[in-house]
Amino acid sequence: MDSKIDDIGCLIRSAQNGDEQAMTRLITIHKGLVFTIIMRMTNDYHTSEDLTQETFIKVFLNIKKVKSREHFRPWICTIARNIVRDYYRRTKSHATISFDQVKEFHGQWDQSTRRRVVIQDALAKLVERDRILLTLTYYQGLNLREVAEVMKMTESNVKVCIHRARKRLRRHLEGYENELM
Amino acid sequence: MNSCEYVDKIIDYRMGQLTEEQKRELELHLKSCTVCQREMIIELLVEDELAVELEPGFIENKTMARLPLRQAQDLRSFWLYAYRMVVLGMTAAIVCFVLLPFLLKFPLKPFPDLSRYTSGLGEFLSVLAPANPILVAIGFCYILLIASSVYSLVHSRH
Ligand SMILES: [Zn+2]
Repeated sequence: MDSKIDDIGCLIRSAQNGDEQAMTRLITIHKGLVFTIIMRMTNDYHTSEDLTQETFIKVFLNIKKVKSREHFRPWICTIARNIVRDYYRRTKSHATISFDQVKEFHGQWDQSTRRRVVIQDALAKLVERDRILLTLTYYQGLNLREVAEVMKMTESNVKVCIHRARKRLRRHLEGYENELM
Repeated sequence: MNSCEYVDKIIDYRMGQLTEEQKRELELHLKSCTVCQREMIIELLVEDELAVELEPGFIENKTMARLPLRQAQDLRSFWLYAYRMVVLGMTAAIVCFVLLPFLLKFPLKPFPDLSRYTSGLGEFLSVLAPANPILVAIGFCYILLIASSVYSLVHSRH
């Protein structure tokens, strides 16, 4: 675990000196996290791909500002969220997350697809903040301190909100247990 | 439904908030409680759903290909910003060291009659600066410069 953190510190320093290989490695390590956050906000694969690139471009344009590796991940997540907000401000559109149309074909789907739709639908019913909170925690990587930093909340507040968000998600999944199991 | 008191602990467990002892306790409980087993399965399913598969190397290559152009743009906007700062700094210097002493030396006469200023710009200038119209012209140039800087600043935001 420690060696991995040290590794990231090294990569950040190399990237600050313009090392492209280090930059590529940093993207490889963090792209899943960034993409997932953006995907939860836009629900569009291609837009998310594009905005993920935008996020990393902004990260590397400002990489010299990174002072410590502990704040690197929360910092990237914050940039990703701002990029999506800017995108919506620019295009004046908003994420339309709805699986209602596709639900009609329910009967023809195999179980894993049905499972996906049920979970995606439940996630879509949450407000954006709950969705991001769950994404950050479920995505394993981020600890409570990092989530608090991204969301600009206190750690205890994050804890309470995650519990509430998880309960809301569970409520949306109620009645679908048989599809899930 | 989820009527087990351990269900809340599962979330703490997933957030890494449990002590080793609490963890062991929960793991032991999970072996026998079907309610919690079910919750745990849902946790894992949601986690699976939240993780997205990405084509290896795609984001990396695209980003690194777009980066040099953006760095160049960034540098250009840096110089634009520097130019604006220089203009604003010079304006402040002019106002403080030229315009203010000038006005203090030749204080504006008390305005006797407002209708005088509506009759023409030339008259207005001669009232504002009876001694040195060149300085007033410089002042106007600076007002224009500030206006254009503000304009370009507003435009660059889009
Ligand atoms: Zn239980």
